[in-house]
Amino acid sequence: MDVKNVVKQWKTIAASVEAVDFAVTGYDYDLSVAGAKVPELANFMLKSGFYLVDLMAVHVTPSIEVVYQFAHVETRCRVMIRAFVDANNEIPTISDIYQGANWHERETRDFHGVVFVGHPNLEPLILAEEDVDLKPLLKDEKSLKDVAAIRRQQPEPKPEAAKPEAVKSQEQS
Amino acid sequence: MNVEPLEDDRHHRFVLNMGPQHPSTHGVLRVLLELEGEYAMHLHPVLGYGHRCHEKIAEHKPAKSFMPNTARMDYLGALIYNQGYAQLLEKAAGIEVPQRAEYIRVITAELNRIQSHLLWYGAYLLDLGAFTPIMFAFDDREHILDILEDVTGSRLTYCYHRVGGVSKDIDDKFVSRTRAFIERLRSRYTMYEDLVNGNVILQKRLIDVGELTPQICARYGVTGPLLRGTGVAYDIRRAEPYSVYPEFDFEIPTETKGDCMASFMVRYREIEQSLRIIEQALDKLPEGPSMAAKVPKKLKLPAGDYNSSVEAPRGELSYYLVADGSDVPYRLKVRTPSYSNLSTVPETCSGMLLSDVVSAMGSLDLVIPEIDR
Amino acid sequence: MAEQKKSLLKVHSYTKECEDRYEGALPQRTKTSEEGPLLQMTLSDTILDLCRANSLWPMTFGLACCAIEMMCCGMARFDMARYGAEVFRPSPRQSDLLIVAGTVNRKMAPAVVTLYEQMPAPRYVIALGNCAVSGGPFAVEANYDVVLGVDKLIPVDVYVPGCPPRPEALIEGILQLQEKITNKRFPFPQNKMPEGA
Repeated sequence: MDVKNVVKQWKTIAASVEAVDFAVTGYDYDLSVAGAKVPELANFMLKSGFYLVDLMAVHVTPSIEVVYQFAHVETRCRVMIRAFVDANNEIPTISDIYQGANWHERETRDFHGVVFVGHPNLEPLILAEEDVDLKPLLKDEKSLKDVAAIRRQQPEPKPEAAKPEAVKSQEQS
Repeated sequence: MNVEPLEDDRHHRFVLNMGPQHPSTHGVLRVLLELEGEYAMHLHPVLGYGHRCHEKIAEHKPAKSFMPNTARMDYLGALIYNQGYAQLLEKAAGIEVPQRAEYIRVITAELNRIQSHLLWYGAYLLDLGAFTPIMFAFDDREHILDILEDVTGSRLTYCYHRVGGVSKDIDDKFVSRTRAFIERLRSRYTMYEDLVNGNVILQKRLIDVGELTPQICARYGVTGPLLRGTGVAYDIRRAEPYSVYPEFDFEIPTETKGDCMASFMVRYREIEQSLRIIEQALDKLPEGPSMAAKVPKKLKLPAGDYNSSVEAPRGELSYYLVADGSDVPYRLKVRTPSYSNLSTVPETCSGMLLSDVVSAMGSLDLVIPEIDR
Repeated sequence: MAEQKKSLLKVHSYTKECEDRYEGALPQRTKTSEEGPLLQMTLSDTILDLCRANSLWPMTFGLACCAIEMMCCGMARFDMARYGAEVFRPSPRQSDLLIVAGTVNRKMAPAVVTLYEQMPAPRYVIALGNCAVSGGPFAVEANYDVVLGVDKLIPVDVYVPGCPPRPEALIEGILQLQEKITNKRFPFPQNKMPEGA
């Protein structure tokens, strides 16, 4: 897999592509993407040979953030893709591209109430059917935080901030 | 009386409920089987009978004290789950682990992996109708439990790892017992091979059953021995080296066919590779402390997100932690391997004989509380 | 010295001990033999109880971690067959002992009750492990799914604590159940372990 080429392609689809330090975070690239573009990006990931590691949701203000995790079997390239759900808690499904996402999306529907538009069978998977509206992992008002509070703080330690830039400049050259 | 032919094909089908209490579902998995005679045309797994709210509990207590819960998710690979979680917190808080502790972690984790594979070996063959191998496998397994019990204090759900090291150092007795065990297990290979692996009935039950391809694995996120059975040498210990694994010389066993026999042989051969790692680790075991000197009592996790992946006995285990600057995680997601592995069942098992469904599901090596969490 | 040894190796009965301890506390044992049933079945009942206690058929019913220790009990080394309880039956209709080995959650609860109701009487229940006893590590504020103790659903005869309990603990639980069924401690003669041994 040609990482440079893949990163170039990502930049045409995603809103932002950021290389992060693997030693600190445990993954290589951090992508933000608009909710509507998630299937397009997933299609590209499948073509480049990535497999779906995980799919999860994080409840923050202003809206729930869905995080997709991909990794590659040949080269070390672990990617987090973030997308926000829209006002109706909706986001397009990727279960027609990655069938493994089917169960992950049903689980996310159970725990956070995210509706995946186009999913063939969005029934409760883990919770009982009567608990359809329980949504246990939604935060209450007291513990709910803004998305800025859970983002990595960049500037303070100088050597750490310098690293991602060095990686970036390597890619550009 | 003339019997009119049924118009709709569906009338020939009936639904059989397998589980949640069924001996071959290994716990509380429930599968609705749509049968046509002896053939399972559709499978609908129903999960959640072992759901224990681990992720919710993680958001309500300090990150350090979630360690015991990790052992209860996958009770067969408890030390590896411990290791993944300890690494996650060390990554987040920036704590250095002494070299000796890393070696101890690797030794105990590999012992744990062998123990898990031995249990699978016995239980899987029991599913297929062979009763004797489980007795031999458990006999060997008890020796591992004895060794681990001596140092960790429990038999199954270990909570041995700490942030910054391990709770108790190993001694010479541990080393000599482990060496004796390695010798013992190696001497049993011929017996296992004569008794089980070359058995004609076993081969008829496993070959060409439940075939997976690398493409299916990528679409479903299948990892671990099942993926290696399709010919992809993907092991987190090699692909994203963690701990001190880069220092050891070991192979990644692979097969090409992707059927039940392939994953069976991959797991069987992994036992030997784990023994090799343990041997090398015992030889190289450095002196020094087994616990980092300065670990804050209240572990503040800087805001941001962290990921830690390790190779569990069943595949890739990922912890994903979102921290907001306090000592309580904002969100902890555990990616468990069996969850993705099991999700292939509706696709790969439809159209199979019912008895083959049992052998295909057994080869996934399911641990249900790990799936439901 | 010899006397001391003798007293240590004395035949020991828990039931006897309990009786001695509570003799003064209990007002009077109600005698039913005089106004008992027309047909005296005492002897045959005693024999039947003896048979039941020494051939308990547990159900293969693993819920979580404790199920592995339950398996260990049946396998080499611990070998429950020594106490007559090794015939694990997959069907509730063939078994008379339900070992609830693990956590019961709200989705599983109806199934546990159904299984219990499907067992033919007399039936016995062992709650194995802290989860089945009281919810164990899941009895916390954040819990929304785990049933805190299986005794909220079905009557329990013997509680075996531990997380998970060792196989010896389960064997002790089965011996306790045998004692409960027959009023005798099996296998007899049961010698008390000398102190410090």
